[in-house]
Amino acid sequence: MSARKTITGLAWISPWLVGFILFMAFPLAMSFYYSLTDYRLLESPLWVGLANYQRMLTDQTLHLALRNTFLYAAISIPLSVTIAVVLASLLNTPRLPWAKFFQMAIFLPTLVPLIASTMVWMWLFNAEYGLINRLLSTLGIDGPAWLLDPNWALAALVIIGLWSVGQAVILCLTALKQVPTSLYEAADIDGMGAIRKFFSITVPMISPVILFNAITLTIGAFQIFVVPYVIFVRDKGGPGQKGFFYTMYLYDNTFIYQQMGYASALAWLQLLIILALTGLMFLVSRRMVHYRSA
Amino acid sequence: MTLSASAGEITRRTAVGALATAGLGFALFGPRPAKRRDDGRLVLDYWEKWTGLEGRAMQTVVEDFNRSQDRLFVRYFSTAGIDEKAQITIAGGAPPDILGLWNYNLPAFAETNAILPLDELGAEFGVTPSIYSPGMAAATQHKGKFWAAVNTGGTVALYYNKAHFREVGLPDTGPRTIAELDEANRRITRIDNNRITRMGFHHREPGWWVFIWGYPFGASLYDADTNRALLNSPENQAGYDWVQSYPKEFGLTRLNEFRSTFGNYDSPLNPFLAGKLSMVIQGPWLANMINAYAPDLDYGVVPLPVAESLYDPARPIGLVDTDILTIPRGVKHPDASMEFIAYTQRQDITEKLATVHCKGSPLATSSPQFLATHPNRGVRVFDDIAKSPRSFLVPKTRAWIQIRDELIWVFDQSWNMKGDPKDLLARAQTKVQGVLDNFELQSRRRAEGAA
Repeated sequence: MSARKTITGLAWISPWLVGFILFMAFPLAMSFYYSLTDYRLLESPLWVGLANYQRMLTDQTLHLALRNTFLYAAISIPLSVTIAVVLASLLNTPRLPWAKFFQMAIFLPTLVPLIASTMVWMWLFNAEYGLINRLLSTLGIDGPAWLLDPNWALAALVIIGLWSVGQAVILCLTALKQVPTSLYEAADIDGMGAIRKFFSITVPMISPVILFNAITLTIGAFQIFVVPYVIFVRDKGGPGQKGFFYTMYLYDNTFIYQQMGYASALAWLQLLIILALTGLMFLVSRRMVHYRSA
Repeated sequence: MTLSASAGEITRRTAVGALATAGLGFALFGPRPAKRRDDGRLVLDYWEKWTGLEGRAMQTVVEDFNRSQDRLFVRYFSTAGIDEKAQITIAGGAPPDILGLWNYNLPAFAETNAILPLDELGAEFGVTPSIYSPGMAAATQHKGKFWAAVNTGGTVALYYNKAHFREVGLPDTGPRTIAELDEANRRITRIDNNRITRMGFHHREPGWWVFIWGYPFGASLYDADTNRALLNSPENQAGYDWVQSYPKEFGLTRLNEFRSTFGNYDSPLNPFLAGKLSMVIQGPWLANMINAYAPDLDYGVVPLPVAESLYDPARPIGLVDTDILTIPRGVKHPDASMEFIAYTQRQDITEKLATVHCKGSPLATSSPQFLATHPNRGVRVFDDIAKSPRSFLVPKTRAWIQIRDELIWVFDQSWNMKGDPKDLLARAQTKVQGVLDNFELQSRRRAEGAA
């Protein structure tokens, strides 16, 4: 390719290129530089080397936030992935009445602004007046003070997270619709039951989408912020700080404590954790994910 | 015309490109001219945190000022997250001309020179610390300099429901000591079917000042002279032991269930207004809610109840938690900003604003009419706290927010009975002292670098 063509090509992609350099590459580089400094926004950065990273080793609040975030991710990701597959399979039932309505009902929560839906959830989980405890009481169960009890706060957050599983469901549903019916017909001839067909045909055939959902849900779980922040803003993480997550601590260090250097280091650690987990998922899924050839 | 095309020399294209880049940079990042209206009046932008009724009251003050002269025109902007946004705009060189903050912001802004000292500028307009009551004057100063004016006087005291006190046979003069508060709480609290339906006092309502519990026992949180945190003092520990005594006595689950019946602070479901809670620690502004949503509530206001040995009606203990006005670094016309601030400090203006806000006046003296006609029946109590030598501010250190957050953790763990307050405070002390030491170390390094 001639130099002129290269220049023309670069010129055509220059809006993206300039945007990437200005708004991604440069901030990334600066963020890494700041992570090696003591920087409080109104003062010039002071070089501290790896001190911010060393501080992470003894920062008990960070350890708490990490513990909570990993626990939340460990519970919410498998649940979300499983529920997405199950709901999508139900929606894929042939001749399901009101199928479009159910699809819409499941997807709609993802369009509701998070703050608005969180306010509604706060009332739903209210121990005295909340609908959830009212429903439980009709079953003879004395519901807990969900958002005030250290033993239940995390469970409440997981349930709120599950409400927004619609996007994963739609992706699974799309994948399900592309599974060749001939496979099910062959399975019928072989006398396979419904459960066997589900695990031997359905799950392998949509496994790339399941992996995609698992990765995006992992990224989302490690960035959880708005819901716990709105609910527990005054208590810094709610009862027993069970609702205090990594991104909240990152936000505190950035905007509340004005410790931009430490916050930058935290952001890099977060990126590395997500990258490592994503890489691990790709590695583990090598033998489990079935990619159809073109 | 070609300047030169040979290597190493400037081509016309390069020169034009460089000029264009410089022009663009200047347009985007260069200095901004001061804003003027068509009538020639200098425009000043005033960022304030207030919204709603309080915001409208301040807007009225601004409009009065704009009418009072023809050289300056102040624009009022209600700004959420004002302290965070202000730091960013100041760092970016485009600050508002007048900035309303909370008094706890002052050390962080002052030590980074994000705001201008007002010692000389304020004096030119007659605004000095001496015009304020002692508690408020302390809120305007940091490390020997005067940094801010006070626009309304906020102190914190105990509101109580007189009818509830009378109902259980207690004098309706309110509790003076912690022991009296506890006794009132026991008598007033009602438990039906293992559920609390009414309570005297609940440490989590409103939950805005969970760091103050040691003060009624004589604690202080910080020694500015030695830069030492004092979180694990016996007095502070006594405060958190007191906090923990409630879940121990009434049961954590019952207290949490009861708390979940509380509505928002600024609604008729506020538990104090709704008669669910008989005593609550609050600022003078609560009277606005009472007047709006529960005008028949028979309430009284007393200073924070304290340990028996500390009780002294002439020198009440109470938190000064107030709003301040500052001039950010980088403003074009600090004298114009100060002129507006000085206007807000006039006794008539201050009292007018404080009346609508239901707060006390920050000034050293209040007019008899202000106190006599004030809509908050506890205004004299709030006023006394502001004038008391035992009123206190949050620690004057840049690390205050971190100290506060650690105490939120101590409070939460104590309340949830997840540990002995003594151990929790010891852990918090270690962490907070580390933060303070680090601040000091970095400040020293910066000073050495600058030298």
